[in-house]
Amino acid sequence: MTDARRFEATVLPLLDTAHNLARWLLRDAAAAEDAVQEAALRAFRYFGSLHANEDARPWFLGIVRNACFTALARERGRADVTLLDEDGWEQLEARSPGPGPDPLAALGARREQGLVDAALRQLTPPMREVIVLRELEGLDYRDIAHIAGIPIGTVMSRLSRARAQLKRQLSLAGLP
Amino acid sequence: MEDDDLTRLLQQHASRHPASEGLRAKVRTQMTLQAAAQDRPPVRPRWRERFAALARIHPAFAGAGGLAAGIALTLAVMLIAPRLTPDGPVPDDLVAAHVRALQVGPLYEVASSDRHTVKPWFQGRLDYAPTVLDAPALRDQGFTLLGGRVQALQGRPTAVLAYQVRLHKIDLYQWPAERRSAPERLQRRGFNLVRWSDDAMQLWAVSDVDGAELERFAAAWRTAAAAH
Repeated sequence: MTDARRFEATVLPLLDTAHNLARWLLRDAAAAEDAVQEAALRAFRYFGSLHANEDARPWFLGIVRNACFTALARERGRADVTLLDEDGWEQLEARSPGPGPDPLAALGARREQGLVDAALRQLTPPMREVIVLRELEGLDYRDIAHIAGIPIGTVMSRLSRARAQLKRQLSLAGLP
Repeated sequence: MEDDDLTRLLQQHASRHPASEGLRAKVRTQMTLQAAAQDRPPVRPRWRERFAALARIHPAFAGAGGLAAGIALTLAVMLIAPRLTPDGPVPDDLVAAHVRALQVGPLYEVASSDRHTVKPWFQGRLDYAPTVLDAPALRDQGFTLLGGRVQALQGRPTAVLAYQVRLHKIDLYQWPAERRSAPERLQRRGFNLVRWSDDAMQLWAVSDVDGAELERFAAAWRTAAAAH
């Protein structure tokens, strides 16, 4: 099988997960598509670095999340934001809060979706990243650690803080 | 609320964003282009081989082949030459050069967002002085100058300026030309090209941004060049 064929068979089936992650991290449809496209191009170029029996999913999602965090940093106009730890992100987020829950949407039939989405959007990108990978995409801690480039212990503590924040917010909204 | 309750809430109610068909198509096209750029089949030898094969079947074909090729060549030159000569490298070569630069690099040999370092860099590398623009008017519209490079096009060293808009790269090729022409938009293998010329230079912008945006770049560049 040629490299192009092998790439097509390996990476194209991962586009849904990749786009979901990018969309949740960047919160913008055009930016998410750009990031996935850029990641796919990079993945194609470095496809040779993926070992024959290595799992392509964490490998490719790692490239996607890096493209997203680079885009986030660019969006904020500072090249060094990728180096910020969570506290740094929290300060930035506090300065530019995302949109709160939309009361009209909450009244409608899609009330739960509106509330859950709003709660997710309020997480900082590093926390949103682990929650999306764990709860929406069902990846295990080891893969998440690989993708985010952090130790497993950090994945677990980040997850538990993200869960605590989500629970607090959803309970206040009267869920479940 | 327990962890399990939260997991259930998230899995049942959080929005999912699968990749659109458009994105899938874009990724596939991009991949095909990359693969094609990696192993482009040589075009010219194939024709020569065919004539050689015919000549081997019967020597008369050698003459017929030569005659046919002669007629075809004359026709081609008559039809294409008036268009080709002032343009220099044809669009296909420009797209191939653009893809090669994106793929194996370098996208620029002198990095800068300051024309005072890019412009002098071209000195002694070319037999003409390209126009280098990093005007505020360009930056305000989102077009950032990344740097410049010299790339061989049809055997001639050519000035290339690399710009960026959002995640997209725009390569601007230029070489001396005498006539003046308004921007014209072309498309090759999914890439957009806009060409125009002023009194001194023939310019070609090549990129994967959409055509309207590339025309916006060309317009901003021409305005900035006129004010330069």
